[in-house]
Amino acid sequence: MNVRILRQQTPVSEPYWETFLYDGPEDNSIAGLLDHINYHDDIVTADGKRTTRIGWECSCLQGICGSCAMVINGVPALACETMLRDLRGKEAEIRPLRKFPVIHDLVTDRSSIHQNLMKSNMYIGEYQPPDEKDREKEHRHQYDAAKCLKCGLCLEVCPNYVNGNSFYGAAFANDCYLAASRNHKKAKEIAAIYGEHFGKGCSKSLSCMDVCPMKISMTASMAKMNAK
Amino acid sequence: MKDVLVIGSAIAGMACAVRLAALGVHVTLVSPFPSERSQSVMAAGGINGVTSEHEDGDSVQSHIDDTLKGGAFLAGTTAVTGLCTRAEEILRYLESIGTVFSVDGKGRPMRRAFGGQSHKRTYYCGASTGKQIVSALVMEARRFEAAGLITRRLFSCFHSALIRDGICYGAIVFDEGRHAMEAVYADALIMATGGQNALFGKTTGSTQCDGYAAGRLFLQGVELKNPEFIQYHPTTLETAQKKMLITEAARGEGGRLFYERDGERVFFLEEKYGPKGNLMTRDVISREIEAAGRKVFLDIAFLGKELIDSRLAEVRDICAKYGRIDVYKDPIPVTPSVHFFMGGLAVHLNQETNMRNLFAVGECASIYHGANRLGGNSLLAALYGGFTAAEEIAGREAPNTRPDFAYQLREAQEELEKSGSADSPFPVMYIRDMLAESMQAYLGIVRDGERLEKGLSDVDYLLGVAKRIRYDSSVMPYYNYSLGGILAAARATLVCAKERKESRGAHFRADHPQTEAAFGSATLIAFDGGAYRVRFDREGAYER
Repeated sequence: MNVRILRQQTPVSEPYWETFLYDGPEDNSIAGLLDHINYHDDIVTADGKRTTRIGWECSCLQGICGSCAMVINGVPALACETMLRDLRGKEAEIRPLRKFPVIHDLVTDRSSIHQNLMKSNMYIGEYQPPDEKDREKEHRHQYDAAKCLKCGLCLEVCPNYVNGNSFYGAAFANDCYLAASRNHKKAKEIAAIYGEHFGKGCSKSLSCMDVCPMKISMTASMAKMNAK
Repeated sequence: MKDVLVIGSAIAGMACAVRLAALGVHVTLVSPFPSERSQSVMAAGGINGVTSEHEDGDSVQSHIDDTLKGGAFLAGTTAVTGLCTRAEEILRYLESIGTVFSVDGKGRPMRRAFGGQSHKRTYYCGASTGKQIVSALVMEARRFEAAGLITRRLFSCFHSALIRDGICYGAIVFDEGRHAMEAVYADALIMATGGQNALFGKTTGSTQCDGYAAGRLFLQGVELKNPEFIQYHPTTLETAQKKMLITEAARGEGGRLFYERDGERVFFLEEKYGPKGNLMTRDVISREIEAAGRKVFLDIAFLGKELIDSRLAEVRDICAKYGRIDVYKDPIPVTPSVHFFMGGLAVHLNQETNMRNLFAVGECASIYHGANRLGGNSLLAALYGGFTAAEEIAGREAPNTRPDFAYQLREAQEELEKSGSADSPFPVMYIRDMLAESMQAYLGIVRDGERLEKGLSDVDYLLGVAKRIRYDSSVMPYYNYSLGGILAAARATLVCAKERKESRGAHFRADHPQTEAAFGSATLIAFDGGAYRVRFDREGAYER
């Protein structure tokens, strides 16, 4: 199987494509494929040219840490839970997320997600549950929302998110919901920031929900925030 | 103290940082990746604590007793008493910062049963307790970041500590962005770098927890404690790249382990230990699975879709995605895997190592779990350790001298440049994998003197060749410079396992199957001019 990978040696150098030949097991993930290609006495491209090992990021290897977010055959996804058996076509094309600066190969700097939340002072503070009726209703979604990996896939796929300078995207909106719903005393204040950096810029393509590894319902977060 | 350095930004590191910040101390929080990528997010089952709403008959004393007993009486009573006594405060704290606990109809956090415990006292957040706590702590840390009290430093890795005459003054940190070593001075250094997974290759944990920091500090004179006590989690799902944890909660909720004999299911644990057999401590179950010598399965199907969906959804999803198993219908094939390191950097009750102003918290430190850890006690210990270190540090005077470490920095920088210019195709991962293979073979669930000797001779060989080889420089430099520390940690572990000629908790010696009173104290190992010196802490040096 041919695997095309968009390489980039340093944050300031030019990106370039390289093709590799994958001859490992079929029952594998893209993360497993990258390990397999990297793990040889030497690393060579499909045409036999010696090259450098492919840089990529991983930690949990089971879809719950968000490290290995990249674009696989045009779809933003986690490499560790993208199975070769589910790929369309006979080739794999892998490139780093485009909405974040590349550090090295498939490793990107996604700290803008955290920076925007920090700039907006987005935190729960003191847990102040709403009354009993709402508490039960919201608990399930709070649990889901708190599972956000900050992996950036939702921002990569979003037609409205460019670089996070003014529109902060779904990962931000989701934390707005969590903070506002766990501390209802802050809800009004958060709703204003939410409107400024998410509500007014979101065109509701909802593509974020298609790629979210945690399957967080953005429509639920949005509906609940709009009601605040 | 005014300005401290925390290495590692998962639960223990963040707990320490937010408590320091709340006490007005500025923290530089160093990690290669954001907290969301940490191993803490993988902690599934829960966090223990006896609160005022405890189960009938339960008490803090009972939690203490269970913890000491689970640890085969190797942990110090004072340390464990502190841990368990403060559990309620820690749970309340987590609730107060908005952690999404699983709650009953009245909004009160619920408890589940966990292995080795006399009562239900494990609070939980579905099957993603660690992740939920990380999310809440990230928010809380963010609050202090916005206020300028915590400064996060990403894409940065620990290289070595700045130690002179038994006092620590900070650390040398590798900055991936600038491709350079940097000396970061601080009033205190807190290590929160997790366990030593890389010694064993495929484990349940994160690829980022490799044991380098413990190994490197050991080579700098910091003592290690109990490294031979390594917990195998009895139930993991094995895939090509790793062994995925099937949470103990699956058994806490009623899941049963069995193997098949002549087409019949044999519930071997219940046969041997009675109805609570599936909730024996992890070391017992792991040994029983190994002794069974055949494929063992975990059945949760009979618990029903409703319970599985509401409390074990993550188990359901992992099995479907990585094993193509439908847990509503089929049992899960399980295998034990290295899961947790009870040993690590030796720390006193205030979490300080034998070097002044050098602290360790969370899994990289060794203090509360003795010879074996109870499920639900590691999250508790991560938070408790973080708070304890923070409170000690905040009340302490900063050292009034700052020795010059220019030489050490220059050496680290030269080593980096030398390895970066190597024109070699040899990947350092080969050595790491050879190490993991030896450790898996000779330091498994059941050990004996002969096999430990073989392990030692393998590691000595690797130590001998590792320095002479030039490695492929196109991998991240951290992988190349961390090898020596990882090998040292592995060797220390084998030496201690060899010296402990008894069986206790997670350390089982086929050639010494009995627990011996003579070995009733913690193992300590120090690096002394090239020698690995072991002693047993009979005087309780670290019990104060």
